[in-house]
Amino acid sequence: MLGTQWIVKTLKEKGITTVFGYPGGQIMPLYDALYDGGIEHVLCRHEQGAAMAAIGYARATGKIGVCIATSGPGATNIITGLADALIDSVPVIAITGQVPTTLIGTDAFQEVDVLGLSLACTKHSYLIDDATQLPNTLQEAFNLANSGRPGPILIDIPKDIQLAEHDYQTYLTPTTIKTPSDNAQLYPISSDEITLAKQMICQAKKPMLYIGGGVGLSNAIAEMREFMNLTQIPSVSTLKGLGVADLNNPYYLGLIGMHGAKAANLAVQECDLLIALGVRFDDRVTGKLNEFAKHAKVIHIDIDQSEINKLRQSHLGLQGDIKHVLPMLHQTVSIKDWHERIKQLKAQHPTRYDHPGEAIYAPALLKRISERRPVNSVITTDVGQHQMWTAQHMSFNHPQNFITSSGLGTMGFGLPAAIGAQMSRPEDMVICVSGDGSFMMNVQELTTIKRKKLPVKIVLIDNQRLGMVRQWQELFFNERYSETNLSDNPDFLMLAKAFDIPGQMISKKAEIEPALDNLFNSSSAYLLHVCIDELENVWPLVPPGAANENMLDKSNKE
Amino acid sequence: MNQLATHQFTIKANDKLGSLERILRVVRHRGAHIQQMQMQSIDNHLFILNLTFTTERALSSLQSQIGKLEDVIAIE
Repeated sequence: MLGTQWIVKTLKEKGITTVFGYPGGQIMPLYDALYDGGIEHVLCRHEQGAAMAAIGYARATGKIGVCIATSGPGATNIITGLADALIDSVPVIAITGQVPTTLIGTDAFQEVDVLGLSLACTKHSYLIDDATQLPNTLQEAFNLANSGRPGPILIDIPKDIQLAEHDYQTYLTPTTIKTPSDNAQLYPISSDEITLAKQMICQAKKPMLYIGGGVGLSNAIAEMREFMNLTQIPSVSTLKGLGVADLNNPYYLGLIGMHGAKAANLAVQECDLLIALGVRFDDRVTGKLNEFAKHAKVIHIDIDQSEINKLRQSHLGLQGDIKHVLPMLHQTVSIKDWHERIKQLKAQHPTRYDHPGEAIYAPALLKRISERRPVNSVITTDVGQHQMWTAQHMSFNHPQNFITSSGLGTMGFGLPAAIGAQMSRPEDMVICVSGDGSFMMNVQELTTIKRKKLPVKIVLIDNQRLGMVRQWQELFFNERYSETNLSDNPDFLMLAKAFDIPGQMISKKAEIEPALDNLFNSSSAYLLHVCIDELENVWPLVPPGAANENMLDKSNKE
Repeated sequence: MNQLATHQFTIKANDKLGSLERILRVVRHRGAHIQQMQMQSIDNHLFILNLTFTTERALSSLQSQIGKLEDVIAIE
């Protein structure tokens, strides 16, 4: 059997039915094996698109996403996707072709040191220099991608290794790498630690749950909601934690951080116990770090030991799988006054959608999309103002239904991520909310939508500006609008039409409902091009370097 | 100007392609400056790396960042 045939066999055994990629010289043997190998290959039109589609596939399902690229520029083009997957803890396996082993290090055509490039943007990576390593390396890669804290794994495979003939089965040995089902044994929590945590929760007068992406990754949605329901401890969420909380919980305050809800930020600043679950204390969440929840003791639960005490010293750090730890922490609390304060904060800082004039107000539009879309639809976004408006004004019932580039903030993410999500969940509606800056960064993937006849819906919020940067230039750079005017954008409807994607443009409030009828009733892909005022900003906002209680909103920025 | 104290780690790791580079990259990226290092390969399967370095950041944080690398067996 050829090495490439073993790769395809392994992918199928691991349940991989779909891969994303782009062929090229040094990966041609693998593409030959894929030709009739029984795995669906999605040809993206740029390797970056393939990597981000694999991320979308993984994030929409929890399965491992696989992307494939050739050596040299093919491999360099997936680097951004791997970096995105690393910081957002997404299980992705990237397979790259490499020049033959005898040519490595000779500056051969399309040769680059892929293993070297991968070091900073993968959980682990391999260069296979001996064909007999192939079976165990592939097994390890699959186990690693989804074990502990998930992340991207790269396997660089020289062309001669791909073509090497062996009885590969004979080289396969039992792996010692653990899988997610081993987490309870791998990360045991002592009874003393549980007792201490429960004491801290019991003694707190103002406890707060700080919910991060790790809760969803731990598949602990049900455990989290049960804990919230039983304890009625108030809660806030990071961008990646959106979708975890039961939206009907009266003490859930929503998004925290730079563009979080004011009530959420103020409540965290007042709390006396912060229970941090699968979070990184990211600077976009904490604002000025040493003023973040400065009155609070911290219990930090995370499967990754290196996150505990990395930025905020915890009073109790528990390395463990949240799914297993949380049920052990059920504790009755008496926090009636705190509940009243939470209600007061929510009442004092409601979300407002009143907006003068005929022009479309993006937050109100997104709220309507949220209300009208099918309940299990997937929303992907790009990065910028539209991303924050989506996080603020749309509601999510599961983190797999909101796929956004959180840690890396990768413009160009939304469209390929939507392709991956749609491939993994063909029965569900997938809506990509994008901005005119981000959309152009991977616009070539419209061809992939056409090729696979995917019914992805695109809502393009167009202010003819690089909106978030423009906003910061207005607020913090004396209105010096350096290179943020995108008024030379193409005609987006004509562009979509070139890919056989229908659509319409709207610019007035009165056009919203009929346009959403068209969007949701379309059986094919559809582009809703939404023109908005370039001066609209995302509010509220914690200015850079400020503490979260010093949020600005539209009324107090002047 | 205060001189930073030096610290030492002894790291035992699998001697695989890229594993030494991966450790050194983490050391640099997480804010430590190597003063001295010695690496000894053991039967081409393992290596012991002795690092002497300075850092303004918490040692425990660097230790856990290195310790979670797949090829690292022990760090002390």
